[in-house]
Amino acid sequence: MSAEPDTEAGDVATPSGDAASENGPPIPDPESVDDEGYVIGSGRSGIVRRIGHDDFDPVGTLVLIAIYMVIVGAMWIFMYFVEFLGGDLTVIG
Amino acid sequence: MATFVDKFPDEAKVVQASFAVAFIALGIGALFGLIQALHRTNVLRVIDSVDYYTLLTAHGVLLALVFTIFFLVGLFTWAVTRSFGRALPDIRLTWAWFGLMTTGTVLATVAIVAGLFPQIPMSADVLYTFYAPLQAHPIFYIGLAMFIIGTWMAGADWFLAYREWRGENPDSRIPLQAFMVLTTMIMWYVSTLGVAVSVVFFLIPWSLGLIETVNPLLTRTLFWYFGHPVVYFWLMPAYLLWYTVLPKLAGGRLFSDPLARVVFVLFVLLSTPVGIHHQYVDPGIAEGFKFIAMTNTMFLLLPSLLTAFTVVASVEHGARQRGGEGYLSWLGALPWRDPAFAGMALAGLMFAAGGFSGMINAGMNINYLVHNTLWVPGHFHMTVGTAVALTMMAGTYWLLPQLTGKAVYSRPIGLLQVIMWFIGMVFMSNAMHRAGLFGVPRRTAEPQYQNFDFVAAVGSVGEIRMQIAFGSLLLFLSVVLFLFNVAATWADDRVDTPVDDTIPEPLSPSSGAPLVLDNLALWTGIAVLLVVLAYTLPLASIVNDAGLLGGSPTFPVTVSLEWVVDVTVGALGNLSLDSLAGVAPADAVADLVREVRR
Repeated sequence: MSAEPDTEAGDVATPSGDAASENGPPIPDPESVDDEGYVIGSGRSGIVRRIGHDDFDPVGTLVLIAIYMVIVGAMWIFMYFVEFLGGDLTVIG
Repeated sequence: MATFVDKFPDEAKVVQASFAVAFIALGIGALFGLIQALHRTNVLRVIDSVDYYTLLTAHGVLLALVFTIFFLVGLFTWAVTRSFGRALPDIRLTWAWFGLMTTGTVLATVAIVAGLFPQIPMSADVLYTFYAPLQAHPIFYIGLAMFIIGTWMAGADWFLAYREWRGENPDSRIPLQAFMVLTTMIMWYVSTLGVAVSVVFFLIPWSLGLIETVNPLLTRTLFWYFGHPVVYFWLMPAYLLWYTVLPKLAGGRLFSDPLARVVFVLFVLLSTPVGIHHQYVDPGIAEGFKFIAMTNTMFLLLPSLLTAFTVVASVEHGARQRGGEGYLSWLGALPWRDPAFAGMALAGLMFAAGGFSGMINAGMNINYLVHNTLWVPGHFHMTVGTAVALTMMAGTYWLLPQLTGKAVYSRPIGLLQVIMWFIGMVFMSNAMHRAGLFGVPRRTAEPQYQNFDFVAAVGSVGEIRMQIAFGSLLLFLSVVLFLFNVAATWADDRVDTPVDDTIPEPLSPSSGAPLVLDNLALWTGIAVLLVVLAYTLPLASIVNDAGLLGGSPTFPVTVSLEWVVDVTVGALGNLSLDSLAGVAPADAVADLVREVRR
């Protein structure tokens, strides 16, 4: 994954930032924050780089969804053994 | 820094009022939930088992309908106002629907809770599904009808806002949040038609004595015509928050605006023609119709899987911008100490698990194994009970400051509360699923039987009961903490910058979405067509079979038990014993009923 700071997406929001970029006005002053960077909704105060549309490769999402599919597949096979192999066919027609 | 309450003070009041009603319902419903869980697990029985069904009805109605839908109307009012950037057309209309919904809620709740007091000749122990021939007091049905009509007026309010905005912005794309609201309401209009017909034309006249009988299969089918889309009506506010707010909370941007629109359009099309999958074991509906409903249901997995991709990718974008690296270690870069983020992310995780049991429920032959068992409440406590409810609570931590101008009272309590909910639900829901596999029934005050034991494949029934009781206790304490935090926030003083309320642009903006996605009339037309295709023949068959009004005796839960016993004994007496050879003799059952009566 490639990423560069301060790309076309605008300035990086910092607690002291003053740029009204497309990400909106600056986030609150750290003085008003009870635990630095963790005023509710201030996830972007921890941003260290901008990643634009073309630079973003959601490979982590692919991994998570693959894990999900493996679980579904394994449970499906497990269900077959538990519910059907020992009994007669379930008639639906 | 001006936030929502400064820009739209009138609308902020309506949203606050809606949230207040939602949270009161949440508190009462959660208390009743705890009492039920302790009762049916035989840990602590403070109520009579007959009253269990009163509390169960109240729990279902107050949480599944009142809490979720009042939160929804508040959230949607916020979303429409915010995304159109203009005040609602007429705030009197807004207060009118709020008033009507609240009045309806109070009437229905009074009818239910009156069941706890024998001296009041009123009750509505018909459970959340209000299946005929169980009959509630008329004001229960009238209250429900007012509630539904109130939501219709709310939808009209938002569509009027859309018309005004469209007049001034003829060529703009509908803002994403408003698009989500409008499509959800189209789905709601199509689907509530079923419950409106059931309640207004059958159940209200029947409870008032204007007609003597109803066709239970017809009213039940009309209920489920509405009963499945209503789960998406609960879920769509959570989706709205996951798509438009969660990426921002994670420090990222929504991955794709067009994909979000596709998902909402799919829900308009597919939510309603699937209701029969709740009636897989209903003997009056032919298997073929059930099979069609199952096929539609499997298609309905598609928008949820699309959502899994889009929302997770958006959150990953936030994590990468916050410095996250690797295949899985990026998860650690997310703002887990923010209760709004953590709550929504955990809700999403639980929804993924709910998808597993949902797929089991959806399959017709597998459904037979778990139907009417505790598995099913286990499933919907993961979906509506966590994916929706936890997202709403987490969202409140971000929304309430915008609506009040006050910072959340305590972030650590908020964080503790959302984690407690998640852990409590892991215990309770997992145990409920397992109990369902052993065959433990749902909707039962005392699931213990003489000369019969449930066989546990793994663990023991006692262990499962303890898990359910412990989980429900954690869930209740979580609600108490939530309500405390919210009340303390409300009571606090205003501050200059209560919250960071900006929502960044999506990575892939709406300009890339095909124009046809915004053609609401087209999607409405197709949705209606699919409903006609899926429901005409089954409904015609039900009416042909037993007539519009049927012939079933009435079981009013508004009067004494004696009457019900008489009807039951009479009905058992008419059964042919020949057809029951080898089965538990009807006489024995009749004797038992007589004994209960004594």
